[in-house]
Amino acid sequence: MNREDEETVDLDGDRELDSHDDASGQDAAVDAERDDDADLAGADEDLNGRLRSALPPEELRRLFEEQALPYMDQLYAAALRMTRNAADAGDLVQETFVKAFSAFAQFRQGTNLKAWLYRILTNTFINSYRKSQRQPYQNAIDELEDWQLGSAESLTQGRTTRSAEAEAIDHLPDSDVKEALQSIPEDFRMAVYLADVEGFAYQEIADIMKTPVGTVMSRLHRGRRLLRERLADYARDRGYVVADTPRRGR
Amino acid sequence: MTDCGCDKAKAELEEFLHRELSDDDFRDVSEHLESCVDCETEATVGLTLMQKVRSACQEKAPEELREAILARLSAHA
Repeated sequence: MNREDEETVDLDGDRELDSHDDASGQDAAVDAERDDDADLAGADEDLNGRLRSALPPEELRRLFEEQALPYMDQLYAAALRMTRNAADAGDLVQETFVKAFSAFAQFRQGTNLKAWLYRILTNTFINSYRKSQRQPYQNAIDELEDWQLGSAESLTQGRTTRSAEAEAIDHLPDSDVKEALQSIPEDFRMAVYLADVEGFAYQEIADIMKTPVGTVMSRLHRGRRLLRERLADYARDRGYVVADTPRRGR
Repeated sequence: MTDCGCDKAKAELEEFLHRELSDDDFRDVSEHLESCVDCETEATVGLTLMQKVRSACQEKAPEELREAILARLSAHA
């Protein structure tokens, strides 16, 4: 599994991930288990000549609290989207910080700490919380054609109804948005979350989700389309005038 | 509709909204949106969706979580 090691070591670099196929559940799980070792392997290639492992433990702890802990709220919100409940989200964030802390001495200053933390969060989630049997289902989802997923493509809708759609979305309560997010397939949900909430670039999302950029785009587009469709449903339920969105399978 | 820029704008709208286009493509789509009410409206829906998702997902971690993490880091060290 040298390939996986390299990939992990190069997390902070600019390696192209497009060259390898969509990570299967097994690969991802193995990779997550190996993260710590792989990070250690990269320790002697510190880019800025600043090796944190040379720091005294109390200084390392102080740096970690100062640089990594501020991401707690963001990671918690992401963990809520992943696990869909507060107890598991709290546990997941704890695990993430413990793992991150143990690997922090090897983390390179000046690289993307936030993306690194998100990758550990995602690995930990896949490893510990995601059921092994759901991966085939997820792959099947990626292979669905657009028409099978339904489409909010509104070429045939008038401009007026789409203006109304934007306004309706804007007025929906946060709870509707979160519920709609929970209802879409996990990989779509995370692509939307990482792009729209966290503002990660496609390549960063590809690194975090260990999937080619093309897959990220497809998941993001489909996720946003599904989300838009669900929100249109909520808007109609709440009495906003929104044109019918084409339904799944039509 | 090919020559008015709608096709390109619709195809690249998501990448436009997510700032993933090259400078040239970004400028092409921006210019088209200024002149095409239809595509501009579609972009507004996409942007609204993005902003809405972002503002809805701003949970704060409970204070106990911070304490639990600090305790585990101490135990770990």
